[in-house]
Amino acid sequence: MILKKDISKRMMIFLGILLIALVILPHVSTLSTTTLFSRIFIMAIYAMSYDILRGYMGFINLGHALFFGSGAYIVGILFNNIGNTVPMFLVAIVITLIYSSIAALIMGKIVFRSKGGGAASVVAGAMTTLALGEIVRHTAERWRDVTMGADGLSFRIPPVFADRTMFYYYALIFLIVMTLILRQFINSPTGRVLMSIRENEQRAEFLGFDTEKYKLIGLQVSGIASGFSGVMFGVMNRFVNTELLTVQQTLNALLITLVGGTGTLYGAIIGSGFVNIVQSQLLNFRRVHPIFERWLLFFGAMYVIVVIFMPKGFMGLYYSITDKRKSKLQNQTIKETSGKTS
Amino acid sequence: MGEILIETKDIGISFGGHKAVNKVSIKLEKGKLTTILGPNGAGKTTLFNLISGLLEPTEGQVFFKGTDITRLSPLKRIKMGMGRSFQLTNVFGALTAFENIRLAMQSKENIGFKIFTDHRKYHQLNEKTDKILEKVLLKDKKEFLASELSHGEQRKLELGMVMALDPEILLLDEPTAGMAIEEVPVMIDIMKNIQKSGTTIILIEHKMDMVKTLSDKLIIIVNGMFLTEGDPETVSKDPEVLKAYLGGGVLDELAAKS
Repeated sequence: MILKKDISKRMMIFLGILLIALVILPHVSTLSTTTLFSRIFIMAIYAMSYDILRGYMGFINLGHALFFGSGAYIVGILFNNIGNTVPMFLVAIVITLIYSSIAALIMGKIVFRSKGGGAASVVAGAMTTLALGEIVRHTAERWRDVTMGADGLSFRIPPVFADRTMFYYYALIFLIVMTLILRQFINSPTGRVLMSIRENEQRAEFLGFDTEKYKLIGLQVSGIASGFSGVMFGVMNRFVNTELLTVQQTLNALLITLVGGTGTLYGAIIGSGFVNIVQSQLLNFRRVHPIFERWLLFFGAMYVIVVIFMPKGFMGLYYSITDKRKSKLQNQTIKETSGKTS
Repeated sequence: MGEILIETKDIGISFGGHKAVNKVSIKLEKGKLTTILGPNGAGKTTLFNLISGLLEPTEGQVFFKGTDITRLSPLKRIKMGMGRSFQLTNVFGALTAFENIRLAMQSKENIGFKIFTDHRKYHQLNEKTDKILEKVLLKDKKEFLASELSHGEQRKLELGMVMALDPEILLLDEPTAGMAIEEVPVMIDIMKNIQKSGTTIILIEHKMDMVKTLSDKLIIIVNGMFLTEGDPETVSKDPEVLKAYLGGGVLDELAAKS
């Protein structure tokens, strides 16, 4: 695990340039690239919310998509039934906030009951989350009056979101704001306790932390962030179906964090960029050769390669390079000082 | 006898048919260092687990400051002022030494469920953490990950974490287990300092020579049963203790050397 390092000057400059590039991007690229990047930004927050659970809390949630999909459904149902206005979007945000925190509370109360840790209870917990996710998916599928079932729900969005370029900027702002909030959460006293729970829950309890409450808070924060990204995703696609509630959708988050680096927070952004770009490139190749109709095959191979050569993902690779450079510098200074004294 | 801090009444637990701890009744005095001594497998750690709440006894009761705590969760016992270390090193490996102790301090200071303030803004916590690190001689290693520390250093860190909680009573499970011989006196010094600050300590050991000078009182446990108790001088000369304990003890030492 990599602890948070304070941002260096060089990093600040890099981030500044990156931000400027991202602001200019929609004016110099095609519409499909702009949409691809909007998708990257939104999926990054979804994956980041998952990283809080897996990377910082050590909790495997196989039902994580239920927050994401529900957020998309909430905004879709509201736009469809009441009106596609900006105030309704804000209502959707508030409802998602309440819904996600209650859903996380219920999920947590069920899953975190079995104490004592151990592999068996981790698996049992993961299975329970899987079941809960499936319950929500089934409900969405059967509740045809509201959700249109397996056909999916398409809806009109407020005119302000309709422009792809403008929506790109909203997505970018969403990414930056949510990253700052989640970063703050990880650096808060509560976030630190979550990390200790990941390391050794029993020890954390013997330090006097009510670990179950901390885990509930962690799950709620993660669920809310996931729900918000679902709202954005729904607005972007103007369409929502039960696929957003499936285990596959949860695995997307898991794979993005794997590629980007688990327990690094920012890894989710890089992972989302990498995975989405590779996916869209592979889809483009279909025009080149029919074998790319089987693009999932190549997609799978990509994951295998990443896991073999970068077990800690892109961020892990980055940190190991900077750490090496740092220790090299330290060794040099040690040599220099010892040279002077002798 | 002074004030009694912890008392067990006929406490016992059995795993299957095996009685790991069998009707043990002991009283632990405030401000004293009591050592629970016994050969390996005598049930010392199990007794500790019963007192700290990790295990629930199948019979008997535990009292802490006069309150029956037999059915209380470990968390509640800790909030009442109990602190314990573990025999197997139990630190947060991927966090720095500083962070390990800072977390304990955060718990002690009751920071609560703050989610939007930076943990580094609690300067008071950081200063107190530094003081503890100094006490356990880990100041120059504070930025190291706990997993990068040597075994002996991890044991010191573990002790530092319990010290940060500033408990009324400290349960230490073989704090020198697996430590290099030259590090043991350092550990003893640290324990002596804790003792001086007035904290009650209960120590588990199986090396009698180490605790003889340190302890105010020895309690001997053999085969899960209470054998005898008293001041170190008398107990260590007790022929029954020598027979029951040294028999196993010598074998232990041999096993450890081979």
